[in-house]
Amino acid sequence: MLSYLGIGIFIALFVVFVFLGVWGRNYKKGDLRKMDEWAVGGRHFSVWIVWFLVGADLYTAYTFIAIPSSVFGVGAIYFYAVPYVALTFGVAMWAMPKLWKISKKNGYVTAADFIKGYSKSSLLAVLVAIVGIVAELPYIGLQIVGMLSVLTVMLQGIGNIGLVTDTALIISFVILAAFTFFNGLRGATLTAIFKDAIILLSVAIVVIVVASTTNIANAFTLASATGHHYILLPSQFNAYWSLFLMSALALYLYPHAVTGSLSAKSPKVLRTSQSLLPLYGVGLAFLALFGVFVYANPSAMSFLTTHYLPTSRGTYVVPALIFYTLPSWLTGFAFLGIFIGGLVPASIMAISQSNLLTSNIIKEFRPNLKGSTETWIAKIAAVIFIFIAVGFVFIFPLTYSVQLQLLGGIIILQTLPSLFIGLITDKMHKYALSLGLLVGLGFGFYFMEVANHYSTWTTTLIQTNTEFGPFFIGLFALLANLIVVGVGTLVFNYAGKKGNAAPAPAKE
Amino acid sequence: MKKSSLIVLVSVLTIIPFIALLDVPGYAKSAPSLGGLPFFYWYQIMWLFLATALFGSAALMWNRTEESE
Repeated sequence: MLSYLGIGIFIALFVVFVFLGVWGRNYKKGDLRKMDEWAVGGRHFSVWIVWFLVGADLYTAYTFIAIPSSVFGVGAIYFYAVPYVALTFGVAMWAMPKLWKISKKNGYVTAADFIKGYSKSSLLAVLVAIVGIVAELPYIGLQIVGMLSVLTVMLQGIGNIGLVTDTALIISFVILAAFTFFNGLRGATLTAIFKDAIILLSVAIVVIVVASTTNIANAFTLASATGHHYILLPSQFNAYWSLFLMSALALYLYPHAVTGSLSAKSPKVLRTSQSLLPLYGVGLAFLALFGVFVYANPSAMSFLTTHYLPTSRGTYVVPALIFYTLPSWLTGFAFLGIFIGGLVPASIMAISQSNLLTSNIIKEFRPNLKGSTETWIAKIAAVIFIFIAVGFVFIFPLTYSVQLQLLGGIIILQTLPSLFIGLITDKMHKYALSLGLLVGLGFGFYFMEVANHYSTWTTTLIQTNTEFGPFFIGLFALLANLIVVGVGTLVFNYAGKKGNAAPAPAKE
Repeated sequence: MKKSSLIVLVSVLTIIPFIALLDVPGYAKSAPSLGGLPFFYWYQIMWLFLATALFGSAALMWNRTEESE
C-alpha cells in the first residue's frame, strides 16, 4: 500500500482539482443552464487552451495504462500508438478547420448537425449520432480501467484483491458521474490545464528517473526472453500500419474530438494547435516503453507477478513502476495525474454523447424541447452513459484493455464517409452513405466474432494468410463501407434518374 | 503565395510523415540502437518531432495565406 503521505498528497491535490472544477464555472462566465454553454463552452477558447484541451484527450488511460499494458503483454506491435499520434493531427489539420467554418456559419454543434445539413437526411444524421454514442462507450470504459488500476495499486493490501478492485471501481464510477453531472466542459477545460501540468511534470520526472536508473539494453534483453517480439516480425507489418493508419483516421471522427475542435476560437487557432500536437506523443512513447522497462525492475516485476494474473497484470505496469521508482509523495502526485487522466476525458466523452442524444436524436422527434429540459436530459443521460460504459470494463480481460479503444475505432470509422468525404463533396447519395455505414458495422462485428472464434474478445486483428499476416478489422470494415457508398451512389443515382425524368436541381 | 501552390506545398508537408512511417519494413529493425533503444523505437520518436515541425510549418503558411486573402 502507498504510504499515508502519498495518499495524503493524492487526496489534497484531488480536492484542489475539484475546487478548480467548481471555480471554473465562473471562468469567462456563461450560463451553464444553456446547452451550448454546458457543451462547447461558448466557443471562445484560445490557441493554448485548445492545445491543452485536445492534448488532454490524448493523455488518457489509453496512454498511461492500455498501451504500456499491451507492449508489456504482447510486444512491439502496440507501439503503433506512436505513429498514430504522429499522423492523426495531419488528418485533423485538414479536416477540422473546414468543419469549424461550416459549423460556425450554420450554428452546428456536432458532426451529425453537419451531416444533416449537407445530406438533408435525418436518417443518416440519426444513424451517425447513434454510432457516435455507441463508439464512445468502450472508450469511456477504457478510462474507467485507468482510474481503477491506479486506485487498485494504491489500495493494494487493505483487503483481498477482489475487495480492492471492487472498491476501486465503485469510487471511480461515483467520482466520474458526479464530476460530469455538475461541471460540463467548462469545468473540464480548466481542470484539464491543471491535469496536464500534473501529468507533464510526472511524465517528465518518471521518464528521467526511470530512464536514468534502467539499463535499457538489458530491459530489452529481459523483455525479449519472455518470447514476445520487441522488434516487429515481417508477418506483423500489415497489422502495424493498419492499426496506426485507421486509428489516425478515427480519432477526429469521435464526438468528443469534434466537440473539442469546435470550441476553438477560430479555424487558424485550431489548425496551429493541432499541427503542434504530435509533440505530445513523446511522453506517450516513453510511457509505452515502460512496458519494456518494467522487465528490468525486479521489485515491480515481483509485485506484478505476486498479486495479479497475466490477464490483468499489464494494466498495473505503469502504476507499479512509478510506485517502485519514485518516493511516495511523488508517487501520490503521479497517481493523481493518471487518475484524472481517465476522469477528465471520460467526462468530456460522456458530455459529447449526451450532446448528440439531445440535439440530434431527441430533437429530431421532439423539435420543441425546452432549453432547460434539454440540459436536464443531457445531464441525466451523461450519467447513464457512464453507467453503461462500466459494463464495457468487463468485455475484455484488463491486460487487453487497449482493445476497448480499438473496438470504438472500428465503430466510429464507419462514419468516415459521411463526415470526411462529406467535407469534400456532397455528391454521395444519402441512402448509399446510410447503407455503407450499416454494412461497415455489420462486417466489423462479424469479423470481431470470427477473429475471436466466437468466444471472449481479446483481439481486434483478423488473420488473413501466413504471407500477409493479420490486419486490423477496422480497415476491412471501412473498405466494405466505402465500396457500398461508391457503388450505392451510382446505383441510387441511376435509379433516381430513371424514375424521375426531370433533371436533378443544379448544385450551388 | 498563390492558392494552388500553397495547396501543393501544404500537401507535400503533410504527406512526408505518412510516407516515413508507412515504410514499416524500412524501420522495423534493432540496429543501430541509441542509448540501448532499438532503431525501431527511436526512429518513430524522432518522427514525432519532425511531424510537429512539418505540420507546424504547413499550418503557419496556410494561416498566413488565409490572412492575406
